[in-house]
Amino acid sequence: MIEARELTKRYGDTTAVHSLSFTIAPGTVTGFLGPNGAGKSTTMRMIMGLDRPTSGTVTVNGKPYRQHRAPLREVGALLEASAVHPGRSARSHLRSMAATHNIKASRVSEVIEMTGLAGVATKRVGGFSLGMGQRLGIAAALLGDPRTLILDEPVNGLDPEGVQWVRQLVRALAAEGRTVFLSSHLMSEMSQTADHLLVIGRGRIIAAGPVQQVIDSVAGGAVRVRSPRAGELAAALAADGATVTSPEAGMLEVSGTTAEHVGDEVAFRNGLLLHELSPRRASLEEAYMSLTQDAVEYRAHTTTTTSRTAKAENQ
Amino acid sequence: MSTLTADPPTTSHAATPPAAAQVQPTFAGVVRGEWIKLLSLRSTWWALASTAAVITLVALAAAASLNAMADDPALAPGIEQMHGAEVISSGFHFGMLTIAVLGALLITGEYATGLIRSTFAAVPTRIPVLAAKALTLVVLTAAVTLVSVTLSYFLTMPRLSQYDLVPALDDPGTWRVFGGTLYSLISAALFSLGVGTLLRSTAASLTAALTVLLLLPGILSFIRLDWVETIVSYLPLPASSALLTTGAVETQGAYLSAQASLIVMAAYAVVPIAAAAVTLHRRDA
Repeated sequence: MIEARELTKRYGDTTAVHSLSFTIAPGTVTGFLGPNGAGKSTTMRMIMGLDRPTSGTVTVNGKPYRQHRAPLREVGALLEASAVHPGRSARSHLRSMAATHNIKASRVSEVIEMTGLAGVATKRVGGFSLGMGQRLGIAAALLGDPRTLILDEPVNGLDPEGVQWVRQLVRALAAEGRTVFLSSHLMSEMSQTADHLLVIGRGRIIAAGPVQQVIDSVAGGAVRVRSPRAGELAAALAADGATVTSPEAGMLEVSGTTAEHVGDEVAFRNGLLLHELSPRRASLEEAYMSLTQDAVEYRAHTTTTTSRTAKAENQ
Repeated sequence: MSTLTADPPTTSHAATPPAAAQVQPTFAGVVRGEWIKLLSLRSTWWALASTAAVITLVALAAAASLNAMADDPALAPGIEQMHGAEVISSGFHFGMLTIAVLGALLITGEYATGLIRSTFAAVPTRIPVLAAKALTLVVLTAAVTLVSVTLSYFLTMPRLSQYDLVPALDDPGTWRVFGGTLYSLISAALFSLGVGTLLRSTAASLTAALTVLLLLPGILSFIRLDWVETIVSYLPLPASSALLTTGAVETQGAYLSAQASLIVMAAYAVVPIAAAAVTLHRRDA
């Protein structure tokens, strides 16, 4: 359980996190989404007691992080893969963390096994690949067998097998009643892993709720229709108030209506034949893009399109 | 709040580690964690080995130069004024250099690599981490000083015995010099740890710590102003030199008394660390 109340962090004139209030429930995987610079990492650091909020509060399992007697048992965190000294072995790193809480050496071996690091545990971390570093970070997060897990970009740099492993791991942890809060930029992965979403942009909450609800709130979905008499159908649908586009001849993308309505009320009534009628749900990626388009801090400018338009204007 | 946190049926979580109740941070645990960290880095061993090596080598060189002194009629009478323990400890300022590097790296290495976030996540009260680092640093510094002085004692013995300078172990002067060496090195190590905790950056910390510890007296020695000379006498190197003499050559003027030196060197050890402890709690990691 993570609860934030009007959590705010200002650095000089810039407000990184602006009055966030949210509750991350136990027993679920909650995805934390937002463009680069949206304030995700700052929020996670404040949850972990590493950064002080300018105002507002955040508690984990009912208390501010710093007040927990055994913090590693309450919260396990992967805040950045590089929070390890490269000159130390994976096992030494984990042993040093375990020692602070008097966690037994057998638990260190356990998380090393669990994360697939057994073969490289005595090697210096400096030589690890990005994926190995992630696994070590996850091992450190699991060390205290915590009730709440906070994972910043856990699948970053993992191979497909590793990505799947993380997905199964966090699902299993949530199924055990733990709170899992993770960020990722991989939307397809997030849509498979998370139950709930918290989307922020420029330090403010843009959307929150169950995954499907967040998606539906943005893009109501569309209906794809193919018909030999597409032209007439398009006219009938437009007259009915739907928005119609035609990506290719004979095919229509209809939004602002349902598949049932298109089939029953428009096509059937007008005696128009249909060859395809399929509801198309918006993907999380599409929903995310549309949610955050105004909140993107760092956007790459697509120079090719602009130069082409410029050329067209010149002609 | 408790009603909220108690919610869903936790199956395997409830059944997890039987020892969970004992899993709790203790200061002893934090010290053990720091100890593991310190000994699992090669840089620690390099710093310790080079500290022992430079102290011993300088002692050997100082002992070897006794021959040259004896051959020079101008310097020969000076030998009688010397104390063997001073010859053995003559490399202490080189030891200060390497031990200060170790002290600073102990904390700046964590900031540089991001490890500090893992450290403070495990011990969010933070101050025990600094205390544990100071403790392990003192223990290691003491150990390496002991090894260095012992090594120097035996290796310089053949040459010192030629001049009847082998320091007697029942001579309080001997222990004063060796004790002063230990005290100064520990002070330098803690000073550097404190500066490192305040400045966080390795480059900035090493520059600041080594300038104050070693460079300033040399730089300022060209300025012959009374107040500058007074300041210089309070710098770590001159202050610790006062601890490292048997008193026989205490004629060089600007030196502090032994008692004053003890206090000054203690201040170098304590003040930066105390300041760091105050700020550590407030600053974002």
